[in-house]
Amino acid sequence: MRLLALLAISFFSGLSFTASEYKCGSIECYEFSADTKDKESLQRGLSAYMNYCYGCHSLKYSRYKRVAEDLAIPLSIFEQNLIFDDSKIGDLMHISLKESKAIELLGAKPPDLTLEARLRSPEWIYTYLDTFYEDSSRPYGVNNKVYVNVSMPHVLEDIQSELSDEDYDRYIADITNFLTYVSDPSAETRKQLGIYVILFLLIFTAFAYLVYREFKKDLK
Amino acid sequence: MATDTRTKRLLNWVDFRFPLTEVFERHLSKYPAPTNLNIWYLFGFLLIVVLAMQIVTGLWLMMNYTNSAEEAFSSVEYIMRDVEYGWLIRYMHAAGASAFFALIYLHMFRGMMYGSYQKPRELIWLGGWFTYLILMAEGFTGYVLPWGQMSFWAAQVIISLFSSIPVVGEDLATWIRGDYLVSGITLSRLFAFHVVLLPILLIAIVFFHILALHEIGSNNPDGIDVKKHLDEDGVPLDTKPFFPYDISHDIFALGVFLIIFCSVVFFFPTGGGYIIEYVNYEPANPLSTPAHIVPSWYYTPFYAMLRAVDFPLFGLTAKFLGFATMMAAVAIFAVLPWLDRSPVKSIKYKGILSKTFLGIFVVSFFALCYLGMVPPTETKTLMSKIFTIGYFSYFLLMPIYTRIEKCKPVPERVAQV
Repeated sequence: MRLLALLAISFFSGLSFTASEYKCGSIECYEFSADTKDKESLQRGLSAYMNYCYGCHSLKYSRYKRVAEDLAIPLSIFEQNLIFDDSKIGDLMHISLKESKAIELLGAKPPDLTLEARLRSPEWIYTYLDTFYEDSSRPYGVNNKVYVNVSMPHVLEDIQSELSDEDYDRYIADITNFLTYVSDPSAETRKQLGIYVILFLLIFTAFAYLVYREFKKDLK
Repeated sequence: MATDTRTKRLLNWVDFRFPLTEVFERHLSKYPAPTNLNIWYLFGFLLIVVLAMQIVTGLWLMMNYTNSAEEAFSSVEYIMRDVEYGWLIRYMHAAGASAFFALIYLHMFRGMMYGSYQKPRELIWLGGWFTYLILMAEGFTGYVLPWGQMSFWAAQVIISLFSSIPVVGEDLATWIRGDYLVSGITLSRLFAFHVVLLPILLIAIVFFHILALHEIGSNNPDGIDVKKHLDEDGVPLDTKPFFPYDISHDIFALGVFLIIFCSVVFFFPTGGGYIIEYVNYEPANPLSTPAHIVPSWYYTPFYAMLRAVDFPLFGLTAKFLGFATMMAAVAIFAVLPWLDRSPVKSIKYKGILSKTFLGIFVVSFFALCYLGMVPPTETKTLMSKIFTIGYFSYFLLMPIYTRIEKCKPVPERVAQV
């Protein structure tokens, strides 16, 4: 039986290899671990996203109000500065760019990014934003190492040329953090609640064990 | 005291009209469980808990889920974001499905190890086997409902397997889908199966399974027939009443199980892609096939068998033969009671051949589970073939090896173990 267990373990350890689907297109992903606790980073990420990404990429499963509340932004400030059309604060974050117009301009429909961080992983987004390079064979003169032959222009080009490498890395880390948050907005609540649930269960199980041990004595 | 007699009178009133006390004592409080039950005997109880949890969480999910191709995906995100504690209900239901399979596999393995399928427990085993079948259908239909990319393509692959059946295949697949390709029609019928037909069957069969068990009584790790030695009240000597002895054991086990389960739900809800696949965060798109379509981990042993059979034979296509092999691998559990010719039940007293073949089965099962998850290569397909043979050899050679091997004598009483 021990041999069986060893064999089973060796097969399961093989599974970790299959989890490496997170390869970033033509390269390995850069090291990045998203921090969704850093409210300031999330706020900066939101602001960058709304100004540079949201023109084409909706967040249609998320609501403005939820984002404002989770990121501790007063609703009035959010409404004035971050809602660009006549949407109400409780609305889903749809964009006004029509699909047909987008295809005419870019040749493809820009995907909704609400769940991008769960679909691709935060490392993927971070690496993607960091690996645009000049390529005159492409319509916008740029290509990407992660998403090869992507239709998207390098919208952060101006930002990247203005900022130092270090600051640009922080800038795209902020966007990635924000996208990670928006892909799973309940994550922080979940982990906090989880601690209490596990603590309760540990106490419950300890008492259940004592009861079990007491009755077990009868059987001896 | 007054309330005591009042309760007693009420109980008497009910008992006169319905055997309430009798049923309660027979199936719960006084159910005699063998004294030598071990950790392997906990999973039945835990399965009942998980079934109840799936029904409750499923009911609440259904309150906000929309079963149309246009809205299914966004309604799941609505549950995850806008419904109070919707994320918790959904993660519990998703992780609950994996827990259900993990537990049922352990429960089935217990039966195989200790010969719990043997006479007179064949019907209990068949009931359990049928539960497993329904659970597989339940898992598949549920997997389709979020209507992500993997939902859609898994449905496409699984249903298209039926089209490999000679002559009637194509028509059958169209009939199952209700369309020429997987569509909103398919989604809403799978939804109906998932929330009405299959749960009703599941509950009915579990009820049958437990009723049959309580008629015969539980087997035990030594396969000793405890009913041979009774006390003056006709209760087997080597048993203890369910209450309080077994229930205290089960509640402790429930605590341990919930610690593991809640750790997954609260800290690793997607289970590294094994509970909720990352590809499923993209809405279903019939025009774009994901690079790597894999079923959930609990089906992968059978998926590996499907891919292992890559050669046509006797004019039948490889796809059909693979499908048939996969079906046979599930179906063969049903005849297990009639394949085992051993005079003893438990693996403890069976000979070296039974132990070896059970070992081969376990290794093959885990190996196929792994091979079904990874993209096929030439070596891996060859390994799948070998392990498929290993899997079936446990069953098909059983009538031979259980008859020729030398068994150890089984003790009369538990105390003699």
